Amino acid sequence: MSHKYYWEDFYQGQVRESGGYSLSEQEIIEFARKYDPQPFHTDKDKAQQSYFGGLIASGWQTASLCMRMICDVYLLEAASLGSPGVDEVRWVKPVRPGDTLHLKTTVLETRASTSRPDMGTVRSRSEVYNQNGELVMHMSGVGMFRRRSPGAG
Amino acid sequence: MALRYYWEDFTPGRVFETGTRTLSEQDITRFAREYDPQSYHTDAQAAKSSPYGGLIASGWQTCGVTMRLMCDGYLLETSCVGSPGLEELRWLKPVRPGDALRLKTTVIESTPSGKHANRGTVLFLWETLNQNGEVVVSMRGRQMFLRRTPA
Repeated sequence: MSHKYYWEDFYQGQVRESGGYSLSEQEIIEFARKYDPQPFHTDKDKAQQSYFGGLIASGWQTASLCMRMICDVYLLEAASLGSPGVDEVRWVKPVRPGDTLHLKTTVLETRASTSRPDMGTVRSRSEVYNQNGELVMHMSGVGMFRRRSPGAG
Repeated sequence: MALRYYWEDFTPGRVFETGTRTLSEQDITRFAREYDPQSYHTDAQAAKSSPYGGLIASGWQTCGVTMRLMCDGYLLETSCVGSPGLEELRWLKPVRPGDALRLKTTVIESTPSGKHANRGTVLFLWETLNQNGEVVVSMRGRQMFLRRTPA
């Protein structure tokens, strides 16, 4: 299978942005019942009494939606080999039903693998913004990608 | 509701363990179609010819299961008032359908809030293990709790 993006197609400072995505009240409650059943994620009335003053999405759902945006913006067309992890995950603002979110992802650094000449890594910072331009979440992650032309060392 | 754990109860070195949860093939593909539609998460056939040799769960779904284990293990019985985030999150091993996952939570550090006399922060290490005792996900992050007795 041929891909649109290989490791060589990423460069420091490269920015990609997504269109808008939103989560309905029902999607927020369904996700939370399975994965994060704190009352301010599962129950509208209790959420109203909570510190957040209304239903908010689990931070893990926001992170998962961020992943979806990354997939749609470039990852599904890339020769991806997975990710070892992310650093500095920050949930900055609550996400509420109907908020329109979009992704801005910036390449921080690219590095050829020293152990695998057919592979390289890309470190990116992904930021999720709401319809008011407020940053709601950000994280820095590493992706591993196949090289178009394997290099030496 | 009386809470079982307040900030004071999270003393460095304290460990919390949980029961297990599993993800079925259907749980994995359903989550992935919504949030992480890479073919080794959505398609058991295509996954066979991937580097993983079979269907694996999205790392974000494994984080969701970790969160669920945390909720059931201690979090829903605490005075938790949220989390600012994680310092580090590592996906160490693939998670496959039927793997029995459990969570080990270790308190690393506990800090009273400088701003709020009724709060404190706790730094945790969360390790999600499979049925073979292998760590599949590890996370380091903070949660904030109300104090039983304000400073």
